[in-house]
Amino acid sequence: MFLASLLIGRYPEPFWMPLRVLRDDPLARQLVLKLRLPRLITALLLGMVLSAAGSALQMIFRNPLVEPGFLGVSQGAAFGAAVSILWLNRHPLVIELSATVFSLLALAGAYFLSTRIRYGGWVLRLILSGVAVSALFSAGVGVLKYIADPLTELPELTFWMLGGLYSVTWRDLAFVLPFALPGIGVAYLMRWRVNLLSLNDETAFSLGASLGRERLILLLFTVSATAALTAISGIIGWIGLIIPHIARRIFGASAEKSLPAAMLLGGLFSMIADDLARTLLPGEIPLGILTSAIGAILFIYLMISLGIKVRSHG
Amino acid sequence: MDKIISLEGIHFQYHPLDPVVLSDLSLDIPSQKVTAILGPNGTGKTTLLHILLGLLKPSQGNTWVAGKEHREYSRRQLSRLIGLVPQFESIPFNFTVYEYTLMGRSPYLNPFQLPGNTDHEIACQSLEAAGILHLAEKPVMEISGGERQLVHIARVFTQGTPILLLDEPTAHLDLQNQNRILSLLKKMAAGGATTVMTTHDPNAAIYAADYFVLMNRGQIAAAGPIEEVITAENLSAIYQTPIRVEKGNGYVMVVMDKERMQ
Repeated sequence: MFLASLLIGRYPEPFWMPLRVLRDDPLARQLVLKLRLPRLITALLLGMVLSAAGSALQMIFRNPLVEPGFLGVSQGAAFGAAVSILWLNRHPLVIELSATVFSLLALAGAYFLSTRIRYGGWVLRLILSGVAVSALFSAGVGVLKYIADPLTELPELTFWMLGGLYSVTWRDLAFVLPFALPGIGVAYLMRWRVNLLSLNDETAFSLGASLGRERLILLLFTVSATAALTAISGIIGWIGLIIPHIARRIFGASAEKSLPAAMLLGGLFSMIADDLARTLLPGEIPLGILTSAIGAILFIYLMISLGIKVRSHG
Repeated sequence: MDKIISLEGIHFQYHPLDPVVLSDLSLDIPSQKVTAILGPNGTGKTTLLHILLGLLKPSQGNTWVAGKEHREYSRRQLSRLIGLVPQFESIPFNFTVYEYTLMGRSPYLNPFQLPGNTDHEIACQSLEAAGILHLAEKPVMEISGGERQLVHIARVFTQGTPILLLDEPTAHLDLQNQNRILSLLKKMAAGGATTVMTTHDPNAAIYAADYFVLMNRGQIAAAGPIEEVITAENLSAIYQTPIRVEKGNGYVMVVMDKERMQ
């Protein structure tokens, strides 16, 4: 699939580049190596990270409807990117850094706020804080959009928010890897342990889990990986929600199997979605729109035909 | 008495502004026996259990477990010593009985480790000991309440701790399932485990326990063997209802005293 994706595109003609062209045409080689390859690796990582983070967060929050955008991470990243586009620098690396910093700030803000709320369990407190922090940052984004120059800044802002991998280079990828790989690695290594974190606090405690510390480690690694990728891709919704669902349905509830499966499925999903984004129309379709459309349709299908079970008691 | 757990001068409240839950509570728990903690609802039984577990830290007082103070144990050491069957366990994902039981091996694995062959074997043996091996592949949330309680107990077996805490293990169960659970507890004590259960039902306690603790308003009202603790005076006082203790040929039973009820 990965190799096939390298050959799918709109050069020299829509949809497929014959191997002969790759051999004979230096421009084609350049295109594949400098543009398509880093983009593909990024798409793969994006899907893996979002699905791993989605799986981990759903377990930690004991709620199958949670996704990485939950703790203000996406909105924080969007705000950071907007700040950078408007005031700092439109250099991609600066946008990425600013988005990462703000999404980590959002996470830290949500976490700090949750420790100050006096009622409710750990999960409820963090969810409430995440909602509040998200709302703050999305209001901030609204303000920035309002004051942005409608001719130069607003289009760039809007396109970034829709999400896409159109501008990814090897340099972007080099910046993302140090965040993405540890995120994927820690989620993969903790794939059995994370089951424990989905039990009642008292049960998990009695089984020897250091709940606060283990949850924090998993959150920190998966969220910073998500933030780094969001910084170059824009907000890509639904992958982190729907892919872990599908993985659990096929491989069972235990994250020992379903988490690695979700990572693979997520990588595959976002690679195919990105192939479609590049190929379907002469112009690029923003990846975020495609994943939302496909994700929402899958979600509706799952809800109607198989019944997604949400248990809210307890 | 050969005691394994000792509480001394325990004082607890959830928040400095909230009411006091336990005040100046001292208690010894005998080793290798079934101890029942009895008392009306809301009297602090679950809080006491969570202090024994180490989940809650008392604001004053000390807890000794197997000769050492609570704080001298690491999280993992403690989880190899004390297991818990909580009163409510909501499981948001469709784990199978087997997957859930296997989680009992966590105290022996580091956070990055997967269960190995020995762990799988122990999980199977525990399911068999609890008599529910045939349920192994069923989702935990789709079996009956009585079976689910047995699954929790199998998970604690898998944990292999010498001390077991059970919070209202027979609440909401019919008589047959109460009998299954309580017989299992007696068998565990006979096998050398120390079992502490809370219950608001004196008859369930009488059926399974060797040692009785009566709690009232965050304090110990009485503690000792059945004849000292399970008396009409004690029970009538703490439940604030006229209660009679009937003794027959090899049985003791607590009933509400209809004649003295208004």
